[in-house]
Amino acid sequence: MSFRDLPIRRKLMSVLLAVSALMLLITCTTFIVYELLTFRQGMVKNVATLGQVIAANSTAALAFDNAADAAEVLDALRAEPHVVAAGLYDRAGHLFARFPAQAGADGLPAELEADGYRFERGRLVAVIPVTQHGNQRLGTLHIETDLDALYARLRLYGEITAAVIALSLLLAFVLSRFLQQQIAHPILRLAQAAKSVSEDGDYSVRVETLGRDEVSQLTGAFNQMLAQIQQQHRELTDNAARVREQLDRLNLLHRITRAIGERQDLPSIFQVLIRSLEDSLAIDFGCICLHDAGEQLLSVTSIGARGVPTATALGMTSGAKIAIDGNGLADCLRGNLVYEPEIAAVSFPFPQRLAAAGLGSVVFAPLAVESKVFGVLIASRRAQQGFSSVDCEFLRQLSEHAGLAAHQAQLYGALQQAYDDLRQTQQAILQQERLRVLGQMASGIAHDINNAISPVALYTESLLEKETGLSANARRQLETIQRAVDDVAQTVLRMREFYRHRDTDLTLAPVKLNQLVPQVIDLTRARWYDIPQQRGVVIELRTELAPGLPAFMGVESEIREALTNLVFNAVDAMPDGGTLSIRTGLAADAPSRVYVDVIDSGVGMDADTQRRCLEPFFTTKGERGTGLGLSMVYGMVKRHSADIEVESAPGRGTRMRLLFLVMPQVDASPEAGAAAAGPRQRLRILVIDDDPLVINSLRDTLQGDGHAVTAADGGQNGIDEFLAAQRRGQDFSVVITDLGMPYVDGRKVAAAIKAASRETPIIMLTGWGQRLVADRDVPAEVDKVLNKPPKLQALREALVECCASSGAKR
Amino acid sequence: MPWAWLLGLGLCFHCAAATPEYELKAVFLFRFAEFVEWPPQAFADAQAPLTICVLGDDPFGGYLDDTVRGEKVNERPLAVRRLRDVDSVSACHIVFISSSEHEQMRRDLAALKGRSILTVSDNDGFDRAGGMIGLALADNKIRLQVNPDAAKAADLKLSSKLLVTATIVGGEN
Repeated sequence: MSFRDLPIRRKLMSVLLAVSALMLLITCTTFIVYELLTFRQGMVKNVATLGQVIAANSTAALAFDNAADAAEVLDALRAEPHVVAAGLYDRAGHLFARFPAQAGADGLPAELEADGYRFERGRLVAVIPVTQHGNQRLGTLHIETDLDALYARLRLYGEITAAVIALSLLLAFVLSRFLQQQIAHPILRLAQAAKSVSEDGDYSVRVETLGRDEVSQLTGAFNQMLAQIQQQHRELTDNAARVREQLDRLNLLHRITRAIGERQDLPSIFQVLIRSLEDSLAIDFGCICLHDAGEQLLSVTSIGARGVPTATALGMTSGAKIAIDGNGLADCLRGNLVYEPEIAAVSFPFPQRLAAAGLGSVVFAPLAVESKVFGVLIASRRAQQGFSSVDCEFLRQLSEHAGLAAHQAQLYGALQQAYDDLRQTQQAILQQERLRVLGQMASGIAHDINNAISPVALYTESLLEKETGLSANARRQLETIQRAVDDVAQTVLRMREFYRHRDTDLTLAPVKLNQLVPQVIDLTRARWYDIPQQRGVVIELRTELAPGLPAFMGVESEIREALTNLVFNAVDAMPDGGTLSIRTGLAADAPSRVYVDVIDSGVGMDADTQRRCLEPFFTTKGERGTGLGLSMVYGMVKRHSADIEVESAPGRGTRMRLLFLVMPQVDASPEAGAAAAGPRQRLRILVIDDDPLVINSLRDTLQGDGHAVTAADGGQNGIDEFLAAQRRGQDFSVVITDLGMPYVDGRKVAAAIKAASRETPIIMLTGWGQRLVADRDVPAEVDKVLNKPPKLQALREALVECCASSGAKR
Repeated sequence: MPWAWLLGLGLCFHCAAATPEYELKAVFLFRFAEFVEWPPQAFADAQAPLTICVLGDDPFGGYLDDTVRGEKVNERPLAVRRLRDVDSVSACHIVFISSSEHEQMRRDLAALKGRSILTVSDNDGFDRAGGMIGLALADNKIRLQVNPDAAKAADLKLSSKLLVTATIVGGEN
């Protein structure tokens, strides 16, 4: 065991004893050494004195050679017990007398030694000269004394020292016991206290302080430290408890929040909320009330299972209304959490109602979305002061989460809606894209067909007009051809209508419903008559057109198309046949409106279908339907500021009515065709086309009318021809050009010609003509656009129209 | 060289011949000067020599001279004189009366009476004749016979140590 491991008591004692012993040892040793030195000097002095006396007394014996006297003098040394031997020598150094007389000479040196006092061979040797009055040396005295006295003194001192040290150590020991009491004991008590603190964790231990020394100060500091630790420990314990409680609450909050988060609809969220509160927070009554901002009322929405009896007693069953008065509810609706620890003490009606039902304390927590309170969470307990601040904080956070969850639920709904809309829009766009591609294809086909039938139309018309010698049969057959060509043209036209883009900025024109309806009937004949008939189904058509209907401003083609769609739908609704009625009339209400009904006796629509039938891509026809028909109708209706009425019931048929506002308007322009009777000019006409058949038929027909026609094959040839003629000074009166040509198309031709001669009118003949007009895509240089197949009549009118002005200038 | 001289004395001391006896007596004469105190008026001044006189025939030969040569007693040098006649004794401090003066020894002593002169002799009856220190031979050793009264009468102080080692005589006259 090393010194540092010794108990402090032993350490103190060891230090004290060691120091005492060391000090004493040093002191005693010094003293002894000093004493011994002094004693030795004393011994020397004694021997010197003795020797001087002996020497003085032996001078005469030596001087006068009296050995007996000398022996007698030496014999006086007998009185000194420590003198071991002595000898008197004469001047020559011969032993003259000795002491003790009877002893042998072996005790004395044979030779004389030098004068002086020496400690040697365990003896003090004194060699003293013998003179009389300091005169001539008479001899030498040699005395040897033993050191027994010295040793005896040494022994004595040793014994004394030992005794003193023993006594001192005893004293030191006793003293250390006392000191230990004074120093070690407080420290030991401190150590004891520290041990009990560290082992038992008992911070209430205090150590008594005695006096005001450092140890007492240390004790005081220790006590103070303990007090601080005790305080901190208590706080720590309290904090830990609080943290644990808050952690529990957080867990609960997390659980409830997660449970809420899994729900998507408000009632479910609220139900979960209330049930969790009842289960986990042990509330006696809980409900959620939604705020009706308009009526300043709260309507009870969700009540926990446990709270149902209380709710019944309160009259607060689901759906009940609670007035917002000056109670805590109003404050809560401003977004604050309200806690009433004693309901009975609150005088407002609602708390009084709660108190009457046996409830003691209540918390109103606001449910808010973006700081707008939409409801209140009411949590109540029978006990007064039933909610701690932690509870309130918990409820506040929970209500925030519930608000967020509610908000999320709303957002989720909105998102779902947006997603549905987006999906529908996407499908619509897909459909449109499909239609656009289809339309482009149709456009190309229409162009080709129109080109192909152009000579047919022109030649037939020309023959019927000019060949007077035709047989009746030939004329009849030609007329059939003409009608067939017209039908083909109409079919192509309709096909084009199908893909045409709608332009909102369409030119309005007077529309007469009574004229439109027969057209529609004609257009749809195949659907309501031909096709059903093939299946052996009969659809009866009735038309009731009110006479004298006023015209209204609109786009005829759109309305025609809309009616066509309605007829298609009506036919589709009658797979087993029935009656299709189309009626026009003047609505009774003012301002005056005209209407057209499309009525079928078919399967009819239920309420849901009625509600959705106008949506795009909504269809009941499965794969057969695009879902666009009624949607297009509705679009037309909106563009014309018109109305659509749907009247239907399952199994009772459907009536669709379109209502158009009648506006005051000028009469329609006079019918075209008057120009046909006008005087015919002989014109120089340049015909440009890439189709030889079209060129030939045009040339033949126009030459038949007496015009001078020059034909050019293709755009570049046409321009060259025109410029050549111009250089020759034989300008063309008018240029008729095709639009779609390879390399140099009609637009370029028109631009080149107008650049060469701004005056020259240009008539563009195109299979896309209808579309050009509709799209307002007519090049600025073109004076007139005609459709293929061109009607001779229309061509003549255009020539008259264009050349009247230019001809007038000439 | 004093040690060499001491060595010679030792040799003489053992031989015990007639001459060695006087050699020892010469040493004794010299040593009496140490054990005897003269009155101050016995000397002319502080440096005045202490004179040893031999009255009668000189038995020492030159030995006495050799013994005292260079020696000093109480800071005084020593001198040796030889006297034929007692009347010329005035400057002496120690007078050795030789055996040749045996006949007129009483007269000599009477002549010396009243003077501070130490009288020494080895003649028989010297003590009875009123001599101060007699040198007697006994057991082959020289023994002193001292008459303190005579010395006292001569105003000489004898050392007690001298008395201790000597035989006290006189007192009858």
